[in-house]
Amino acid sequence: MASAGSQVAELASKLYDACVSEFDPDHLFYQNDFLNLKVIPKNDVALLLQCTQSLVDQNLFRLLQKDGKLTWRLIDREDAEKLRNLSPDEAMVYNVIHSTGRTGIWVRHIGSRTNLHKSILDRCLKSLEGKNYIKSLHNVKYPSRKMYMLAGLAPSEEVTGGAWFTDGVLDANFINTVAGFIEFTVSKLSWYEVPASDSGRNKRIKTASGKADVKSEEKTYLPYPHGYKGYPNVQTITAAVNSSGITPVRLGDESVVQLMEMLCYDNKLVSLGAGEFYRSLHSPNVVQANQKRKPPSEGDDLAIANKHLVKNGMTEAPCGQCPVFRLCSPGGAVSPETCEYFDPWLSNGLGF
Amino acid sequence: MTQCSSELCMLLIEDNFGELFARIFTVLQRYERLTLPRLKFYSRLTDRQLHHGISAMIQHHLVYHFTSLDDGNTYYEANPQAAYSLVRSGKILQHVESRLGEYAAQVLEAIMFLGHTSITHLETLPQLQPSQPLTNGVDHDEEQPETNGDHEEKAGEPNGNHVVSQKPARLHPTLKSLASHGYIHRVREAHFQSPNDNWLDAHRIISSRPDVKQMKGKQQQAEIEEKAKSMVKERTEGDLSRGLMFNGLPQGVKRKFGSASGSNNAQNGTNGVNRDHAEDEEDDEGNDWSEDEDGIDSSPMDSNLIVRVNYEKLDVALRNAQFLELARQCAPPASLEIYDCLLRRIEYQTPRCRETYEIPREGEEGEQYSAPIQLSAIVNDVDPQLDLAGCIGPMNPTSASNRRKRPLEDETNGVNGDDYEDESTEQNRAYQIDQHLSYLSQAPFNLTTKHNIGGLDTWRIAFRGLARKLRHLELERMIESRYGDVALRVIRVLHAKGRLDEKRLQEISLLPFKDLRQTLASMQTGGFVDLQEVPRDAQRQPSKTIYLWYYDPDRVCSSILEDTYKAMSRCLQRIKFERERERDFLEKTERTDVKGHEEEFLSEAELEHLRNWKAKEALLLAEVSRLDDMVAVFRDY
Repeated sequence: MASAGSQVAELASKLYDACVSEFDPDHLFYQNDFLNLKVIPKNDVALLLQCTQSLVDQNLFRLLQKDGKLTWRLIDREDAEKLRNLSPDEAMVYNVIHSTGRTGIWVRHIGSRTNLHKSILDRCLKSLEGKNYIKSLHNVKYPSRKMYMLAGLAPSEEVTGGAWFTDGVLDANFINTVAGFIEFTVSKLSWYEVPASDSGRNKRIKTASGKADVKSEEKTYLPYPHGYKGYPNVQTITAAVNSSGITPVRLGDESVVQLMEMLCYDNKLVSLGAGEFYRSLHSPNVVQANQKRKPPSEGDDLAIANKHLVKNGMTEAPCGQCPVFRLCSPGGAVSPETCEYFDPWLSNGLGF
Repeated sequence: MTQCSSELCMLLIEDNFGELFARIFTVLQRYERLTLPRLKFYSRLTDRQLHHGISAMIQHHLVYHFTSLDDGNTYYEANPQAAYSLVRSGKILQHVESRLGEYAAQVLEAIMFLGHTSITHLETLPQLQPSQPLTNGVDHDEEQPETNGDHEEKAGEPNGNHVVSQKPARLHPTLKSLASHGYIHRVREAHFQSPNDNWLDAHRIISSRPDVKQMKGKQQQAEIEEKAKSMVKERTEGDLSRGLMFNGLPQGVKRKFGSASGSNNAQNGTNGVNRDHAEDEEDDEGNDWSEDEDGIDSSPMDSNLIVRVNYEKLDVALRNAQFLELARQCAPPASLEIYDCLLRRIEYQTPRCRETYEIPREGEEGEQYSAPIQLSAIVNDVDPQLDLAGCIGPMNPTSASNRRKRPLEDETNGVNGDDYEDESTEQNRAYQIDQHLSYLSQAPFNLTTKHNIGGLDTWRIAFRGLARKLRHLELERMIESRYGDVALRVIRVLHAKGRLDEKRLQEISLLPFKDLRQTLASMQTGGFVDLQEVPRDAQRQPSKTIYLWYYDPDRVCSSILEDTYKAMSRCLQRIKFERERERDFLEKTERTDVKGHEEEFLSEAELEHLRNWKAKEALLLAEVSRLDDMVAVFRDY
């Protein structure tokens, strides 16, 4: 019996080695995969079962179930070592946390899955955290929940809220920087730059164009015709953003799409062909000018800030801005006769 | 009819026609339909005043009247549309002047001033007489003379400064061109009755017809509906352009005054796009109104014809000007020029802005396309001197391989229109104009739509969608000015996505929670967004409730429209108040001996004061007209 046991152990370790060398670590093993390795003599299923069981006992295999079939997955020898050093409770907790991968798991869910008492669970989590096997994380969706995941993993986008969150808080500065960069990049790609030699000849057009104050020494940009295929798509922009060095982390396509959509809502870009291409509404000159203008407008100088607002009758008239407009009626406490906004408005209007 | 708009109508009438009219109008608005004895009772006017007032108001279409066959009474009803149109007169005159020249504007002004008039009467008017030097405005003794102040302020051009050097029979060709543009139309008897009365009348007549009586149930109803509709249409049809259109173009479309735009005021230069090159394609000598046009044109108009201003058609023209303005935001100048030509062609074929009385709700509105215009027609209209190639980049900036071969590409990347101009052929031009129109058809505005009929390229405009865009744009402007660009983004997200909870809203708009909440809260106070509660259980606990934000443009539009009316009233009331403040001084300037000789009788300081006052009044009136632009967008387009 002992010899049989040692034979199994030997076979098992052979099987493990074969698995490591033949397959990548994330492979999901079915029974046939093992049999195809030709490690087990005569493809003896009973023997295979013994081997896998012994590997599972040694924490080298993890037993899983998929579509009603038993499957196995490899565990690194180092991880197995870790697991073997844990108490059974700790191992159970570790496995539960491991199973949730990059999403992490709420403490209460661990409790319900393992059926451990809260104090035991807390002790296990504490010791695991002390050994640096797991870490707690912050979920944007449920900021109040205490969640854990394996220490070696990076939290998924769902948990962190995507690239735009740092520690669960929206990083406005980062977003603005990247958005500005994207707008400028798209703008450069969606306007045709008139070659310098031609710009002299096209002076007439430039002055006639109401596009912006295009000065003679500045570059002139022309829109592309309908059906132009050179507008940038998301991939181009992602590549440009990642190679520009303005982001500390690599941004994925989906984060960039999110940002581009935001820019569309800002009426800075338009998406063409159902999001396939993006086109900028403003030529690079204008984009640059706008971006330069941004900081002072945040100050208290309302006159400058007002300049870039589009106007209509209601925003100009004193009534459009009046805080007590609803109370206003002729002969009332607030009335057109006693209005204090009209006089400054009139003198301001007559001033220029 | 709401409080704000009736207040505004009252003010407008008072401003233009004086207190008597305003009093009658207010009473009619307050009590709706009234017979003469009731009207007398409520308005407390004497018979003489009332008869005088009512008849003049009917002349101006400010009052509808209807004599019922059942009880033989005549009912009077206010016509708020006509009252509101008073505010638009300046804009309309300016448009007509830029389109058809100064004289046409004068003719239209005279018609406007009279409400409706026969051609014979127009012939006798001194200010329309060719040889006579023009006096300032219209001052014959028939109506109250308050009108001219209003018109001049907005048209921004004093009428007295031009020397008229025209041939004798200018009135009739001008009238014809106005008629063929649809700016004036024939007055029918049905125009004096309110649309509702017309409808009921037609309904009654149709349902009493024997053949209709025999039908039953739904079929009968449908039949009545349909027949009544066509009957009303037939009765109110006043179109005069039939037979006056030539090749799809109305008469007098060639611009008479080449430099008309130069003298135009810059107050709101909506249509000042390179006006210096007039379209002169088919017959270049058509620069005058006289007999060198076709035979039909030299015949005078029927002098018994009674005409009035067709505001519906003029709204179409003003709406097109707004579309052009929209195009200015995103298109190069040459495209604008082409778009202008397209819009003009479309205007000739569009009788009114929309078929339904009310603006349909958002999302329930089907698209409605304008009449398609053939590319070739546009090619003919566009100024041949216009540099088409210079303001759109090449299709393929790096290599010469193009989808379609353009000779342009062989030269340095197609930006040098000057060389190209010489060898341009008809076909190339057509292709380029097509390119410009395609450019305009792109997002975000989709200003044009291509349509292929029987292998011919035609272009048309999706009116409803564009009108909706104009509405949204006005709302967005207000939101931006009140709540900043953060709010603008939030509104656009909500508009595109419907109802959203805060978390999802944040994910899409990428705004920090604090900013987002503040913005949403302040917008909710302002009535721009609203919150819907969806409880998850019967107890409706706040913790178990989902809160969804939404933005309903229809609702916001209607409340802003009311606010706009109110703001207009306030401006007018302020003018009144300011006038009251300056009454002594103004009375002096309006004395008959001083008026017209201000320089002689007033001191330097007084002149300065007068100038200031005029500027102030002009500013307020200009604001009213700016607000009217918004009303037009929200209500009329």
